[in-house]
Amino acid sequence: MPDSARPLPGQVAVPRDIGFVDWFFDVGTWTDKGGILDSLWETVLLCSIVTIVAVIVSVPIAAALAHFGKAEVSTTWLVSISRAVPTFAIAALLVPWSLRRGWGFEPWPIFIALLLLALVPIYLNTYTAISQVPDGTVDAARALGHSETSILTKVEFALGASVVLSGIRVAAIQVVATEPIRAFLGGDGLGRYVRDGFGQNNDTLVIGGMILIGGLAALTGLIFVLLERIVLPPGVRRLARQQGDRTR
Amino acid sequence: MITNPTRRRATVKLLAPLVALGLVAAACGSDSDDDSSSTDAPTDSSAPAGSDVPTTEMEMMDGPTIRLRGQDFSESVTIAEVYGQFLHAKGYDVEVLTPAGFRTEAIDSIQNGDVDLIIDYIGGSLTALVPDAPTSADPDEIAALIGPAYADIGATLLNYSSAVDGDAFVVRGDSEATTISDVAGLDYVFGGSAACFEREQCFIGYTDPDLYNITFADTVTLEFGPLLGEALSAEEVDAVQWNTTAPQIAENGFKVLEDDLGLHPAQNIAPIINTEVLDAYGAQLGADLDELSALITTADLLAWNTETDIELRESDAVATEWLEASGLI
Repeated sequence: MPDSARPLPGQVAVPRDIGFVDWFFDVGTWTDKGGILDSLWETVLLCSIVTIVAVIVSVPIAAALAHFGKAEVSTTWLVSISRAVPTFAIAALLVPWSLRRGWGFEPWPIFIALLLLALVPIYLNTYTAISQVPDGTVDAARALGHSETSILTKVEFALGASVVLSGIRVAAIQVVATEPIRAFLGGDGLGRYVRDGFGQNNDTLVIGGMILIGGLAALTGLIFVLLERIVLPPGVRRLARQQGDRTR
Repeated sequence: MITNPTRRRATVKLLAPLVALGLVAAACGSDSDDDSSSTDAPTDSSAPAGSDVPTTEMEMMDGPTIRLRGQDFSESVTIAEVYGQFLHAKGYDVEVLTPAGFRTEAIDSIQNGDVDLIIDYIGGSLTALVPDAPTSADPDEIAALIGPAYADIGATLLNYSSAVDGDAFVVRGDSEATTISDVAGLDYVFGGSAACFEREQCFIGYTDPDLYNITFADTVTLEFGPLLGEALSAEEVDAVQWNTTAPQIAENGFKVLEDDLGLHPAQNIAPIINTEVLDAYGAQLGADLDELSALITTADLLAWNTETDIELRESDAVATEWLEASGLI
């Protein structure tokens, strides 16, 4: 059908019978307006902002509460049950609310829903990281004349950094893997291929979308592994390994 | 009030995996039931097996179970309930399956025998089965084209109803356009479902230089349903592809633009039934279905959708009420 092969502005119109290889390895599939590169950028941008904001919100609160040993049960419980609320439900409920305020489909509904998702692992890991630093170590630092702030940042946080980072890694991967729901709520991003594939009964698009989303999630995990190597001092990494061995 | 349909959809989505799980369990169970009932039937004809409803005063028709399934939007669900409850009242062994999928799945399931009866919109069937055929606003022309196509997959197209749920190009009430052609110069943002963007009778036809030749400022892909109205009200989009019996159109003061170049096909509803099942019951089943199809009108579809989408009532209750009011059950 020549008609459906005609390029449409900003819209994927891929023939249903196109082979996966023909579609996926075509330069235009990637570089056209509304192509994979555009979608990838939309996804990476939103996921990065969500993860960064989640870190800014979660880490200081969790670190402070853990250091002073406050509100352990209540906040941990509150954060944990928020895991039970499906992200799609939150986003879908927020869409009409956002539309009626004239804020449009994006970015607020999907941003808030993903932020709530990302807060949980970062908060829990930071809390655990700080509270698992041995009391003896903290007391020793205090005896050496460290202030409370200094103990938190230079001792507890340094020793727990690997656990904090793995919390951020888990959050980032979850955000990348969940972000495609925005395509079903008036947005685009990589999820558009899954959505269009289902809507147009085009398996090539569904499979392509799954590969792209899964690939980006895997890549995100890899980037954090490399980041841990760069950011963490060798001593802390060795410590983390030993702790890992002990708990195993 | 306006948000409720969306909210309900979201809930339905969340429950879908559970329902699916339940279906699998139910399907496994009913298979074995069918097996036992088919072996029991010759020896014990006084107690028809496989029917949940007490049938004391009802004379059961002799033939296979008619499984029918609506597509996954409220109008189709209500239509399926109307046909299902009607046939049940007539004494047929009917099973109304949980609604799932859209046209593609409906046609696939009747082709591979998962379902025996579907009710589809004839113009949509034409696009799916004979994509190269010219569309027409005349239902007889479309029926003549899809009848043989359904016969090829072992199904029979029965008489179409006068009830029409057509494609609608919908804009806000304050739009200066009255026909779809008027939109060409307005630089509108267009919202439609993913399926619309690959259909000749939808986005491709609107943007085709040889047809409407509209250049949209942007496009937004939206889930078909109440979200289209939300987006239109919020001025996120200026025009959407909807259906003529969407009750939100009148509710929100939207208007349907005239299809002045005749892009949209006739979309009367029509039952399509597995030919073997139809033949097993003889002429009576076809006649009964034709009787029902002849009674349903476009106004009924709009009224049902208002009940289900605005009043948020259940489709099966709406169907029962209509059948009772029409004196059919």
